[in-house]
Amino acid sequence: MVKAIPYLIRGLAGAPGTFLKWFQERWTKMELFDEGRTQQARTNPWYTLGGMWYWVWMLVILSGVVLMVYYVPVTDQAYHSIERIQHNWRWGPLPIGSLVRGLHKYGADAFIILATLRVYRMWFTGEYKQGNEFTFIIALLLLIIGMYSGLTGYLLIWNQRALWATKVMATFPTYLDQNPGWLPGGDFINWTNQGKTTAQILLGGTSIGPATVTRFYAFHFMLSFIPMIFFELRVYRRGFKRMNISHWAKLAVFGVILAIAIMIPAAQGSPANPEVTPNPILSDWYFLAMYHFLKLQDPYLATVLTVAIPFLVLGSMFLDRRPEREWGKRQIFNWIGIGGLIYFIVFSFLILNGIADLHRDAPLWYFSMGGFLLAGYLQDWAYVMRRDQKRWWETFHIFFVAFILVSMSANTLYHYFGDIREWNVLGQAEMPKVLARLQQANPLATPDMAFEWLEKNRPALNLWFTSKKGPGKPPGMELWLVHVVAWLGIIASGIVIGLGRWGRRKEAEEQAALAKAKPRAAGA
Amino acid sequence: MKENQRRIFLKAITSIPILGGAVMAASALIRYFKPTTVGGVKGLVAPPDEAGSSVQIVAALSELTQPWDFKEFIYIRKSVEYSSRKIQGAKIPGFVVRLPDEFTDPKDPKSRFVVVQRICPHLGCTFNFVKSPEELSGGYNYKPPMPTHPYFACPCHLSVYDPTRKTEVNLQGPLPGKVVSGPAPRPPRTMSFDIKDGQILITGTEGGGVG
Repeated sequence: MVKAIPYLIRGLAGAPGTFLKWFQERWTKMELFDEGRTQQARTNPWYTLGGMWYWVWMLVILSGVVLMVYYVPVTDQAYHSIERIQHNWRWGPLPIGSLVRGLHKYGADAFIILATLRVYRMWFTGEYKQGNEFTFIIALLLLIIGMYSGLTGYLLIWNQRALWATKVMATFPTYLDQNPGWLPGGDFINWTNQGKTTAQILLGGTSIGPATVTRFYAFHFMLSFIPMIFFELRVYRRGFKRMNISHWAKLAVFGVILAIAIMIPAAQGSPANPEVTPNPILSDWYFLAMYHFLKLQDPYLATVLTVAIPFLVLGSMFLDRRPEREWGKRQIFNWIGIGGLIYFIVFSFLILNGIADLHRDAPLWYFSMGGFLLAGYLQDWAYVMRRDQKRWWETFHIFFVAFILVSMSANTLYHYFGDIREWNVLGQAEMPKVLARLQQANPLATPDMAFEWLEKNRPALNLWFTSKKGPGKPPGMELWLVHVVAWLGIIASGIVIGLGRWGRRKEAEEQAALAKAKPRAAGA
Repeated sequence: MKENQRRIFLKAITSIPILGGAVMAASALIRYFKPTTVGGVKGLVAPPDEAGSSVQIVAALSELTQPWDFKEFIYIRKSVEYSSRKIQGAKIPGFVVRLPDEFTDPKDPKSRFVVVQRICPHLGCTFNFVKSPEELSGGYNYKPPMPTHPYFACPCHLSVYDPTRKTEVNLQGPLPGKVVSGPAPRPPRTMSFDIKDGQILITGTEGGGVG
């Protein structure tokens, strides 16, 4: 550890220059829509995704601009203006309005599908390696921007689904103001009202109203156009061909979207009514999995995790340091991708069928998440053993495995036994007596109420491990704290040991370089 | 080498005012997007403007004589609008529910009623007053203990609230509507009310949440 310090300081002093070089290298290599992969696109359809993506984006922008002519962005007219576009705007037997709307809606769906497939292609083939990080980052950002553009777009229809999806989306950030008091700096963050400010910036006030529609109209337009302008500037300066697909492919994509628009005219739903939430109420298809995820979590945690997921993906990309790009040689990252895909499909299925149980399901998901990582790690371990011709203990990453096991077990314990009142033997013995007494006064009394009574009147029983359970402190917090301490311990020891190794290696490298340089100096 | 370091140092020094300018521009942009009446930098961290509330009659006691009688109502909360109209009314849906006598304090006439905002404190959907246990277990994933009574239940993420029980909420004391199922973090937001001349008057609403 100590030996690493001078190297660290030297590295930090040169950091700006190193970073600039690193940045410039990646900036030149960046390929936003696979424009440099023309040869590959001829033989491998996966490499046409970028070109098709750009083409679909163009179609959506064009049809959107046409729709703007008749759309009225005012709450009490928006729904009817869409109705007019859908039904009244025809040319002879041809329902032009319906087709343009279908092109816009299904084009947007195709945009999301193509962007997702492309992100997955890049992930599974390790395309983000060898200086292609920016390509991947921008592909993921554009996918998120596309989803957000979808969200702002479908409020414009002003139907029930859009209204409630917007409400859920806008209430999300308000949880950023509800950091628990025990979190260091939590109260300060609460004081700055970041969450409410974000909600206000989104909605243009404290509720969904005329200002929201205007804002969303503007955001919807901006999100599509601004990235496109930057891309076009890049095309102008570098002079490359935008799309790597043939005119026939473009025509085919256009034809497929148009055919869907003819077969299934874009739906409109019922007009928004802030007084009634229909049951069930679902979001657009690409948010379904996220929506299910919300059911399984404490909302504060869900908000933090939702914001964190893209950053976690990007972070794990930077952890994949090896140059290997073949499928069998990077199993951990394959399993992260497969896991994400499985969650997306299964969660969407579950929410469509209304299956959700906070206490039964959540630990299963935590457990499977750890399982995916462990499966990937074990395969990777076997690969590294073979590659480097080493014994099993020499390549085993005890800290990584310990981290996964602690997370898995702690999350599972928290969910199954978070209500540790059931564990408390004294409380269990006492509860029926209290319940009987309560039932004399109130025939509807439940065991839960008896536990509540015990908590309040018999603190010595210590029903929650500690008697300090205050309002707002979730049950089973102690388990969480144990969990966090274990995490921190594992990470800290990993850093200390890793830095020590790094320092020793650097020193050895330097000495080897010196030994090489000396004889030459003597000879001269 | 030394030359190079001096250049890096100079670049670092000159980047400070540039970064400062960028931060100022960004804060001005956020300030442009964030509507408040609080001026200057303070507006960046100020909570949303709350305009005054008014007293509104929402129900008569004669409508709520039997246990589990309830009434849906709309309370108009005035808030600031950032246009020439200056003020807008946000519709806050609410519920008033008459509790059976065994859950009430005979000395306190107000304890017979539960008055809450119908905005789910989880993510803002409008929740319902569900009377049948079949609907609760079928539509909201909650099997009520028997003998049962009606519950508040939200269709978005299936939170269920028990109007007969209370939960301690930070800084506000016990509030009716303990969460018995689903992800909601707290009981529904409240409305302060009074009973006068056989009528229920709403005098104010708890802030927070999206209307």
